[in-house]
Amino acid sequence: MGLPNASDDLSSEMEVDAFRRLFPLRFFERHLAESIRPDGRPLGKARDTSVFLGAVASANGSALAKIGSTTMLTAIKMEVMTPSLESPDEGCIAIDFHMPPICSPIVRPGRPAEAAPVISKQLFDTISSSGLVNLKELSLVNGKAAWMAYLDVYCLDADGALFDAALLSAVSALSHLQIPAVAINDDGKIVLMSEEDGQKQAQEQVNKEKRKLTLKSIPFSLTCILHKNYILADPTAEEESIMETLVTIVLDSSGQLISLYKPGGSVLAHTSALQDCVALTRQRVKELKSILDEQNSVMEIEQD
Amino acid sequence: MAGKGGANPATYSPSPTIQKKKAPLFKEDWVRPDGRGFHQCRPAFFRTGAVNAASGSAYAEFGNTKVIVSVFGPRESKKAMMYSDTGRLNCNVSFTTFATPVRGQGSDHKEYTAMLHKALEGAIILESFPKTTVDVFALVLESSGSDLPVVISCASLALADAGIMMYDLVASVSVSCVSKNLVIDPIFEEENYQDGSLMITCMPSRYEITQLTVTGEWSTPKINEGMQLCLDACAKLAKIMRSCLKEAASDSKE
Repeated sequence: MGLPNASDDLSSEMEVDAFRRLFPLRFFERHLAESIRPDGRPLGKARDTSVFLGAVASANGSALAKIGSTTMLTAIKMEVMTPSLESPDEGCIAIDFHMPPICSPIVRPGRPAEAAPVISKQLFDTISSSGLVNLKELSLVNGKAAWMAYLDVYCLDADGALFDAALLSAVSALSHLQIPAVAINDDGKIVLMSEEDGQKQAQEQVNKEKRKLTLKSIPFSLTCILHKNYILADPTAEEESIMETLVTIVLDSSGQLISLYKPGGSVLAHTSALQDCVALTRQRVKELKSILDEQNSVMEIEQD
Repeated sequence: MAGKGGANPATYSPSPTIQKKKAPLFKEDWVRPDGRGFHQCRPAFFRTGAVNAASGSAYAEFGNTKVIVSVFGPRESKKAMMYSDTGRLNCNVSFTTFATPVRGQGSDHKEYTAMLHKALEGAIILESFPKTTVDVFALVLESSGSDLPVVISCASLALADAGIMMYDLVASVSVSCVSKNLVIDPIFEEENYQDGSLMITCMPSRYEITQLTVTGEWSTPKINEGMQLCLDACAKLAKIMRSCLKEAASDSKE
């Protein structure tokens, strides 16, 4: 990238890698002026994204999502609980986001990453406020038993846009989730039902067949960096560390705004910039929805 | 949703209606639950470069046991550390909450961290990175028996991927003694009913052992037989690991 008009910096006299390390901001700005990013992407383009359903065999629902190198693994385990008095006909979803030390050089064992609880809370807020899951569908016996869905998201490789990848893997796992068939035994405990004893205890069945949740309006998100007048979609970890103003927009599959996070930063977001971000997110939601739909149809074919 | 009133209510996972009859499973002429021969290991799969953020990493899959190990460094030691003219090795093994059949039981294995450290320490040329630390972090994604041997083998591959100097690759295999039989590379169910276990961690090209643990009741001939089984399996495992490294190296050249 040794451009000839380098009168005010050392870029013509230095190797590219050294320049990138010593003057990261200037390195990026020179790319941005050419409307390209160091990894070859145009400013508004997200990295290659893939979803793989059923990655954890022992879980009731699971998904592995990759955006560029950022990798998230989500597994859902269903357990039985006594519903609370205020909502006797509702189940519960417990969402937890983990950043184990394997995922990034910044995280050390015993010292949890600062980002983890923030993303945990954002995931929980997004999934609960979007109305994605009808908690009444998680009820088993009114006032006596209901499902508690433990949804755990693990970051396996952290390279920017963590929330986007975490949300994608969480909603993918929910779309893969199969609620097991269960019956209630004489002690009032919920037990799993296998194929052959289904008929014998027909009177005790609570949830007759394996079933999926009906998900409505799945939320998808896109994180953008605001820097001067530029908007960079789906930043890498390097970009996030150099340019600090982030905007995350969550839309549902019909394009309704669910949430918008702009946690401070040195750049003030003008209306036009936010509108541009929303427009980018709209496009991204379509991409993500088609990726997830494709995976779900692959799963259905395999099951038939 | 969750956490409305602070702590989550107590939950349990629904158990199967029919309790599995366990006793006849391990009588005289039993067959292993996954149909393997007694002296047959699960097919091993290794892949390096699983985590881009790390200096080196590896993913290992033995049946349903799935593990990722990342290596960071050599990097600056913690400030509180004393000066040392040899390098330091720092290890950590953790489990995902969904690794075990019952949620969140993986934290029972706190000793794995120390055992991983002891298994690798002897194989790494610590003099090659004085004053600095190499971090080896393992995450067990799914646990289905023989977790520690898989973690150790995977960690040595990740170290090699990170370019940390070692005397040799470290391979690890365990055998369980179940009634009168020795079964190699036991799965979770077999480990639950074992009378004793033996794990060997070795550097096969040098024919040197870095760690040997024996638990339970063993007779001398049984121990000899078990050790020989493990050593042979380690040699084969190291071959697979080596070919994985060669493959990765030839891929990156292209």
